[in-house]
Amino acid sequence: MTLAFTLNGRPCATETPEHWTVLDLLRDGLGLMGTKYGCGEGVCGTCTVLADGRPIRACLVLAAHVRGRSVVTVEGLEAEGRLDPLQTEFAERGAAQCGYCTPGIMLAAKALLLENPRPTEHQVREALAGNLCRCTGYTKIIAAVLAVAGSR
Amino acid sequence: MSVRLHPFRLLEPESLPEAVDALGRLDGEARLVAGGTALVAMIRLGLLKPDRLVSLHRVPALSRIGVEDGSLVLGAMATHADIERSGVVRDGWPLLAEAVRRVATPAIRTSGTIGGNLAYAEAASDPAPALLCLEAEVLVVGPGGERVVPIARFFRGFYEAALEAGEIVTAIRVPPSPAGARGGYVKFTSRSAEDKPLVGVAALVALDAAGRCIEARIGLGGAAPTPIRAHAAERALRGEALTDAAARAAAEAAAEHADPLSDLMGSAGYRREMIRVWVRRLLGAVRDGATWGSSASTSPGSRRSDR
Repeated sequence: MTLAFTLNGRPCATETPEHWTVLDLLRDGLGLMGTKYGCGEGVCGTCTVLADGRPIRACLVLAAHVRGRSVVTVEGLEAEGRLDPLQTEFAERGAAQCGYCTPGIMLAAKALLLENPRPTEHQVREALAGNLCRCTGYTKIIAAVLAVAGSR
Repeated sequence: MSVRLHPFRLLEPESLPEAVDALGRLDGEARLVAGGTALVAMIRLGLLKPDRLVSLHRVPALSRIGVEDGSLVLGAMATHADIERSGVVRDGWPLLAEAVRRVATPAIRTSGTIGGNLAYAEAASDPAPALLCLEAEVLVVGPGGERVVPIARFFRGFYEAALEAGEIVTAIRVPPSPAGARGGYVKFTSRSAEDKPLVGVAALVALDAAGRCIEARIGLGGAAPTPIRAHAAERALRGEALTDAAARAAAEAAAEHADPLSDLMGSAGYRREMIRVWVRRLLGAVRDGATWGSSASTSPGSRRSDR
């Protein structure tokens, strides 16, 4: 199956098996390993990427369903060699420990900030519900997202 | 290590007749896929091994949200994310906006569709109790043509919708609410906030000048093998003021007439008890203006339901 979509701001035309998900395509078809496989059932959130600015579970969405859409992965967060403010805050505040959930959490947070640049803590928590982190206890993650919101 | 999906062919019809035709071909097992949030997970778990999926993504006009002759019309492919953000829905059908906003997580709501949610026929659906209260209709097309199924007859059994082979949900039609209606949706989860409801309760009531219920509708999720209306509880409310005693009586009736299942989220007995608790609390909140539809109401969805 041929598939054309926008990936991290650039046009992408590729061949993909019909039964592949977006996650299969990103990791195994295109070699973008930043998006992680966690539960495979849409529960853990670590495969979260953006489609047209909204969060999706790459493990549940068929590759065909992003045809013509704009997909952003963690590799696309930085622009012109500069980290996204979310990446900077996560790094400076130690909001990542093992790091496995981090790409999904940053993209879920990015989707929130695109729609609502000044969220409350409650809104941040709601936006990140379903992105599981077993290391941090979430405190520094929430603080990092709120710091980005406050810095704009 | 990632677990691949069992291979299937993906058909992407560009019209409803083509989709009906693709579903109805007699070779192997075909499944319809909308957002995929339930189906792809089931394939991943090995619960289903369809040899072809028929995607509705390329069929035009299935994701529209609009008003026709006073009724809200939601295309079957309208996503929860689009419905919760729709000004039309929030203004005219706040009960639905509130329930849809409680579905799973933002990422699931981006992909999951209202038609898929209903066709999945899960007992613990968030939108279904609200749509039961709103007396919605499900529009269906299939080899035999089009038909309209009242939502009260749409849930046939445990994960079983009243769809015949080759039939596709095309839209949900939601009539306007009774004048002066107020109501709300509460979702009680036993494991985590974004989980399916152990019990979900939707209520829509209309009061006369003396404060008595001239209309009382209660929808329940997780209370039976399918989403249900709590008719006994509704009868207990009609003609009564929304007093604590009336709310308690309705809650007792709802719990008594429920037919809950036991599963990993909770036992049937626990579910029955939570039906009793949450019907009573929701009716109290509706009376006190803590939900939408009264002068003291907050904007739909802005209020947390736990208290």
